[in-house]
Amino acid sequence: MPTWEEKLADSLDTQLADEIDKFATEITLRKQGKLDEKVFAETRLRRGCYGQRYDNGHRHDGIRSQELHYPADLTKGPETLWDAPGMQRIKIPFGGMNPDQMDVLADLAEEYADGVLHVTTRQDIQYHFIHIDDTPAIMRRLGAVGITTREACGNSIRNVTACPLAGVCKTESFDVVPYAKATAKFMLGHPDAQNFGRKFKIAFSGCREEACGLVNMHDMGAIAAMRVENGKVRRGFELYVGGGLGAVPHDAKLFDAFLPEEELLPFTQAISRVFARLGEKKQRDRARIKFLVAKLGIEEFKKLVIEERKTLTPDPRWSDYLSDAETYSEKPLRPPTFLNGQKRPEGFDAWYSTNVYRQKQDGYVVASVTLPLGDLSSWQMRELANVARRFSGDSIRTTVEQNIVLRWVSETDLPDLYRELARIGLGAPGAGTIVDVTACPGTDTCKLGISSSRGLAGELRTRLAAKSFNLDDAVKNLRIKISGCFNSCGQHHIADLGFFGTTLTVGNRKVPHFQVVLGGKWQENGGAYGLALVRVPSKRIPDVIDRITDRYVRERAVSENFQDFVKRIGKKELRGMLEDLTKVPPYEVDPSYYSDWGDPREYTIGDMGTGECAGEVISAAQFDLASADRLVFEAQLHLDSGDYTNADRLAYRALMQAALSLVRAQWPEAPDEPDTITREFRTRFFDTNIWGDRYAGSKFAQYLFARHAAPPKEHTHDQAHRLVEEAQLFVEAVNRGHDILAERGQK
Amino acid sequence: MELQRLGIKLFAADSAAVRVRDFVPVFHSWIQRQCMDGHLLIDVHDYSHIQNGPGILLVAHEGNFCTDMADGRLGLVYFRKQPAGTSTQSHIEAALKAVRQAASLLEKEPVFEGLRFRKDELLVIANDRLLAPNDAATFAALKSQLKKMFGTDATLVYASTNPKDRLTVRVAGNPLS
Repeated sequence: MPTWEEKLADSLDTQLADEIDKFATEITLRKQGKLDEKVFAETRLRRGCYGQRYDNGHRHDGIRSQELHYPADLTKGPETLWDAPGMQRIKIPFGGMNPDQMDVLADLAEEYADGVLHVTTRQDIQYHFIHIDDTPAIMRRLGAVGITTREACGNSIRNVTACPLAGVCKTESFDVVPYAKATAKFMLGHPDAQNFGRKFKIAFSGCREEACGLVNMHDMGAIAAMRVENGKVRRGFELYVGGGLGAVPHDAKLFDAFLPEEELLPFTQAISRVFARLGEKKQRDRARIKFLVAKLGIEEFKKLVIEERKTLTPDPRWSDYLSDAETYSEKPLRPPTFLNGQKRPEGFDAWYSTNVYRQKQDGYVVASVTLPLGDLSSWQMRELANVARRFSGDSIRTTVEQNIVLRWVSETDLPDLYRELARIGLGAPGAGTIVDVTACPGTDTCKLGISSSRGLAGELRTRLAAKSFNLDDAVKNLRIKISGCFNSCGQHHIADLGFFGTTLTVGNRKVPHFQVVLGGKWQENGGAYGLALVRVPSKRIPDVIDRITDRYVRERAVSENFQDFVKRIGKKELRGMLEDLTKVPPYEVDPSYYSDWGDPREYTIGDMGTGECAGEVISAAQFDLASADRLVFEAQLHLDSGDYTNADRLAYRALMQAALSLVRAQWPEAPDEPDTITREFRTRFFDTNIWGDRYAGSKFAQYLFARHAAPPKEHTHDQAHRLVEEAQLFVEAVNRGHDILAERGQK
Repeated sequence: MELQRLGIKLFAADSAAVRVRDFVPVFHSWIQRQCMDGHLLIDVHDYSHIQNGPGILLVAHEGNFCTDMADGRLGLVYFRKQPAGTSTQSHIEAALKAVRQAASLLEKEPVFEGLRFRKDELLVIANDRLLAPNDAATFAALKSQLKKMFGTDATLVYASTNPKDRLTVRVAGNPLS
């Protein structure tokens, strides 16, 4: 039988073909038992082949935990069965795609996945329900059209993202695409980027004010900057390092206010070398560069990088691309025109008001194609490729808001373009508005998901779209972002209204919840991180949105933005107005609370059975935990008022209170004394591995140990903000810890 | 040509008879009962927000089942993923058996009262652009296999000549009688 390997032998770049051949061989070796499962896991991750929920062979079907008996007695990683469906992530550097690539992407989704393409919050594309045996063929077919999956996952440099408006944006200093492209190419497979303790994400932005590049939340972020030197305008970058979301977000630190363009690649290389050399390797949860920068301080980190830079052997690739960068431009397909009196189809005006951006080049616009939940079918992708061929040519981008944009559309083509998009089900208005909800995969497919982020996003989208015409303009422009767990893949920290999944035990049953996160800032490259306000049952989140937005419309001052409104009203007041929504009725009264959005199964986590815990002990623990929750909240209030000393003090108290609740579950007379609490927590739960998040491991316990061992030398906003976040996560983890103990009958 | 990846769509007699989202709890209950012969049923996904997508998807190791609204006509599609025997014939037989069993189970679900699948029409989709490019030669090769399967009286129509589409054959007459 013919194979794709034979068919595409002449279409692939030699290096890429070798790389895929190597992976195919590794698959064979693993099947023969000649390659360790851990080594194979890392090697597949570096090719973008991720695990997926239930790939350990267990799934709770709503009644019981079923064992899924796959045919092959083989694993593709620890607790990851060979035949279990997986996810394939595909890197799309700066989100750039052309119609031919879109055709192939569509074909592959149809033939190897479930016929759906999913755009991620980092401009990648993902397939779900892939068999690992099919991945080399997928990689070859992508490679033949210039796409790679290499280093899409694993401890490597991930997809290099960039503003989707780069080159056509009215506020940019210059087009960052040639630089993003060069960085992605230069660092792909670079020897200096192969020994990281964790992943490394890079983003480019054309300006400081807008959100598009989200530089503040990246390991390395570059904002285009110009400087006049000796009468000559020079290009460079405002370079940031050490940002990141994850469980505890860090603001990126300014590394250099103006890094000349010719230094971009050497400094990226030098930063990678320092990160590889000094970054944490053993403790996975402290291994991102943000922890290294925080530990060393930005000045020391910078000094080390500058020294490293001096040791580098010059590489022609550092500057080869620069001569073309300044003249880089895209060729529009059609001449520039302006909308005149032509007939507009029904629905066009609403779509035009939200989905069209006028480029800096007169007569051209960027049209946003809104993808519900970031999804489109193979058929839609292929049709969209044809639409692009007709109206915009090669200038297509995925966006971090999980949409696709067509650039360089001549304005008079808009009514026809809209007709075509509407025909293929992609003409929905609301791009970049409250309707355009962003969500990570959550419990749908992610192994770490706690609550159904996509289920909630779908529900909110439907409800908000139904009333979008009646929404106040101030509300329309808010952003909702949802993560299925604390790990922030849905970028909830930088949303106006952010949510992350969590859970609570009520009676002997688990109830899906979301933490409500307020105060984040999408603008200014993700300029500020919100904090969790209160935990609300998943089914009441639509009410949370109604209440907060209604009040915002009613009480906002003239021109007051949402962040300022939240600040002015205060979190205490906002929490108070949501308090009644936190109540969960008993199962017998309303079982709907006990299943998640879009999933009729009774909700569980981790395929565990229902616990048989003693009600009295749980009640006492819940009382202690409620105190811890309250302390975290009070810490937040101090943080917001600028009282960092008390914010730190109360967050530390919350850590202790939560830990004490667990210690007292085994030793009811345990004294409320920090040294004892920490010691007992360590010996009873940490050293014994009894307690620990299934995937995050001991990460949360470290928050307690670290703060207890080393109180801050000075109280700053960053330090206090971080500790408040850590305390919140620790409380959540202790909450889950009580469930684990109860289920094991150890309390 | 041994075509392993292929799909079969059965059409509902009346597209308006059901609400697509009702398939979600039904498919979950199938997983609870593991009621599809020769299939390890794994998970359910709601893609009803996408046009011409898999609608409600039931993932199994051997193949996926999903609702389908292409051309506005509700149907049930089964795509085979794993081999079933060693010939195209055996793969078609396995796919047909699976989709017919699923259709029969759906017809018996109380929530779908009135749902019936047509016996006079179905689609066969070759889901492999390498082994079965959408051209006349492949159609001719597949046609002979399908004639063996559905009888010489069956009408076989080449559904799309667009080479980018998957080769799809409309089988009409009385293929399921």
